[in-house]
Amino acid sequence: MRAFLTAAVFAFSMPAFAEVSVIVNSGNADALDKGTISKIYLGKSKSFPSGAKIEPVNLSDGGTLDEFNQKVLSKSSSQVNAYWSKLVFTGKGTPPKKMGSDAEVIAFVKSNPNAIGYVASGSVTGDVKVVATF
Amino acid sequence: MKKLSLAVALGLALASQYSQAEVRVNGFASVVGGMTLDENTNLFGYENELEFKNESMFALQVSADLQERLSATAQIVARGNNDFDAEFEWAYLTYEISDNAQFSAGRMRIPFYRYSDFLDVGYAYRWVRPPQSVYNLSFSTYEGVNFVYNNMIGDWDSTLQIIGGSYSGDIVVGGTTTEDSQLNDMLGINWTLGYDWFSARAAYIIGEVSIGQYDSSRDLRVVGGVGGQVDQLNLALAAAGFANEGSKLLIDSDDGSFFGIGFSIDYENILFDAEYTAFEVENTLLPEQEQYYASLGYRHNEFTWHVTYEHDEDEHPDARFNTIPETPAALLPLRLTLNAVLASRRLERETLTFGMRYDFHPAAAFKVDWSMQDDNVTNTDAEVLAFGVDLVF
Repeated sequence: MRAFLTAAVFAFSMPAFAEVSVIVNSGNADALDKGTISKIYLGKSKSFPSGAKIEPVNLSDGGTLDEFNQKVLSKSSSQVNAYWSKLVFTGKGTPPKKMGSDAEVIAFVKSNPNAIGYVASGSVTGDVKVVATF
Repeated sequence: MKKLSLAVALGLALASQYSQAEVRVNGFASVVGGMTLDENTNLFGYENELEFKNESMFALQVSADLQERLSATAQIVARGNNDFDAEFEWAYLTYEISDNAQFSAGRMRIPFYRYSDFLDVGYAYRWVRPPQSVYNLSFSTYEGVNFVYNNMIGDWDSTLQIIGGSYSGDIVVGGTTTEDSQLNDMLGINWTLGYDWFSARAAYIIGEVSIGQYDSSRDLRVVGGVGGQVDQLNLALAAAGFANEGSKLLIDSDDGSFFGIGFSIDYENILFDAEYTAFEVENTLLPEQEQYYASLGYRHNEFTWHVTYEHDEDEHPDARFNTIPETPAALLPLRLTLNAVLASRRLERETLTFGMRYDFHPAAAFKVDWSMQDDNVTNTDAEVLAFGVDLVF
């Protein structure tokens, strides 16, 4: 009974998940899987397989950010913040730049050949290339 | 003067490149209240009266990307237990040799422990404070150089760090008195290996340690001050023909070594950390020190519950005792006094902490820790309750 209740409460408390699309510049020919994207967003990979220096961007807050952190990095947004605070305050790394909206991310990725970003799948336009969805 | 010159150096570094530099400001802060739960007890700087100054602090970090792989970073920290006087704790330049290697020079943190680098960033860990039995060395920064090399070994992330430099400033001896000290010719290496949810770390640091008031007439440092109890015993031993035993009380250009090993697990909702450290400054008043802790945490949604056991033990080896003969009778008081001074450095404590962290905001956490420390030498105990908010921005 208790298990059933827990399951029921859990099911009803689940927010409506929106699909997240990871996007790169349309001129970027690199294939990126979840592991590679995760390494890029945790600062462990700094260059694309082709050798170009990556310029990743984050959303500053909101559901898509939480979704991306959970699905791709397997961490809550708090855990991701704690992870980066360890690197930032020791000079060992700089977190991806933050942008306020999907439109800003798309505009940045469109104009920077080495950029990578993510947006809600519904926001994707023909200006950028989707490399993965989660 | 040191503070000023660092500020000027950094200012120059920033000014000369200001037109191209991308400057980032980050910060972190902790507001912590706490008190011991019994009268006439003190622990972690708290007494039996609620106060918010002892462990509260505020820090700003300014980093400037000077292009061409060079960056400058400074951290300005204001601590409640230092009346919130702002000081440059870190100020260094970093050159990225490659994606995997970086070289830094300036004032940085000595990487004794797993959490050393972000010791003050409470947001980065689950406790109100890292386990103090282990995190007890009070010199925390040094001036010098630092080389870090990151790479993958198979599926493992490897980070190798090599440091060299020196420290001069205050050090807390015996938990209470502050003395002038110097740590020279310091060399250290540490290596961290991580695989997904597991990481292990080992560190080894050596240096030449001097603690105490400098006496220019003898060109040495005297722990406890010139003419203090230790100095008097040192001189009395020398006068009786045991200068060697006397000098073994002073901490003056003596070889110190630090060893630390630890591992941590962050697997689904389970967190586990353990560290063991050993520290000694050979043939000095400082006893051999050994500490460890083990800490288990459980994360459930925004809450992390944790329990930590710590043990620390300081002791002089048997060979240091009874070095002065019992006869002739005139030597007996010296023998007893020396034995007593060495024995007085003995310490054995156990600490137990239960705590909770609540991530109520993406950049802030509320924490409550209850700790009890048993002193097995004096047979006394003390309890501290502390709570607060850690944030990063």
